[in-house]
Amino acid sequence: MDIKQSPNMAAASEANGAIPPFERIVADYGPLISRIAMSYEADPSLREDLVQQIFLAVWQALPSYRADASLKTFIARVAQNRSISFVTRQVRQGPVAEIPDRLEDDLPNPEESAIEANERQMLLDATRRLPLPQRQVIILILEGFTYPEIAEMLEIAPNALALRLSRAKAALKSMLEEAQ
Amino acid sequence: MSDFDLDRLGDVWRRQPDPAEMEKLQRTAAAVSRRARLGQIVDIGAALAVAGVVVLLVLNNPQLNTFVLGAAAILILLFSVFRQRQLRAAELRGLTGSTEEMLDQSIERVLATRKRNLFGTISMVPGLAIGYFFASAVFPQSGNQRFATMIANSGSGRFVFLAAIVAILLATLVWLIRSIRASDRELERLRALRDAFAREDQISQAE
Repeated sequence: MDIKQSPNMAAASEANGAIPPFERIVADYGPLISRIAMSYEADPSLREDLVQQIFLAVWQALPSYRADASLKTFIARVAQNRSISFVTRQVRQGPVAEIPDRLEDDLPNPEESAIEANERQMLLDATRRLPLPQRQVIILILEGFTYPEIAEMLEIAPNALALRLSRAKAALKSMLEEAQ
Repeated sequence: MSDFDLDRLGDVWRRQPDPAEMEKLQRTAAAVSRRARLGQIVDIGAALAVAGVVVLLVLNNPQLNTFVLGAAAILILLFSVFRQRQLRAAELRGLTGSTEEMLDQSIERVLATRKRNLFGTISMVPGLAIGYFFASAVFPQSGNQRFATMIANSGSGRFVFLAAIVAILLATLVWLIRSIRASDRELERLRALRDAFAREDQISQAE
């Protein structure tokens, strides 16, 4: 798969009415899938498994994609749903949104500045501690989706979304302050 | 991180992966799509091979009973392919729908699996007995009976044979009980999660 990173190539194909090739989708939306998997699964080996399952789900679901929503929205929805079903299948003790241990693979790579890496790690830890309905909304906001896109993706009314987001923001803020 | 600005946090969150990470992701995706394509080919190939073997057997032995058995085998094959497609389509609907729908579907799926395993556990012993008597009645002179007579006459062979049967039955029983327990744990998680989403909706409505 020799496709260089060139954002929005998949979106350009989509605008022409064609579903872009899977390789292009991975190049454009792979990081989104990886971040969603990271926010649901802390264990690196399980996360690798989850990423594979999301790719497979996207590959299988792609023929059913209709351009009534953006491809990014479609992929994020599949990734979120697969992640949630994945964490519910894990045979572990304790609730789904339990605080996971900090793991080696979550540590920043050397290219990141220490401050940015620390900030990102705190954000990731705090996100993982949110209850799933709130986590879902926060992840989509952080991924840059608009309110109408999120409301459509989660199939909730805009005012319900605004209220859920408001609670999620308050919870995230409090967790980030605690972490400092 | 003193100021709480979601836009800025979004920039931090969406940090692009480094090239090595990206390459790993692409390798993983390529392997997944390769396996999925291969799986499709194997599925179709296996179905065609089984159908071909059945047709050959019927053509080589054109009698009413082989024709009936062949037709039954083809029907079972078609049903299994149809059922697999149905399950796959249902799973896809769950993945591309809302999370609540996906959770409801998952709860139904786990309940169905649990019921099937429970039924399997309860009906295992009477089912085996009925199966044995049915086979004895339908094929009185079959190789199975000759095999049973041989086992019965071979002394220690009889003990080993019975022990193997008991071990297989026990292993199946343990597997079924473990599956039921795993389903219970998964159900507990799914229902807790479904309740969490319902609570969120209730809070939103109350506010």
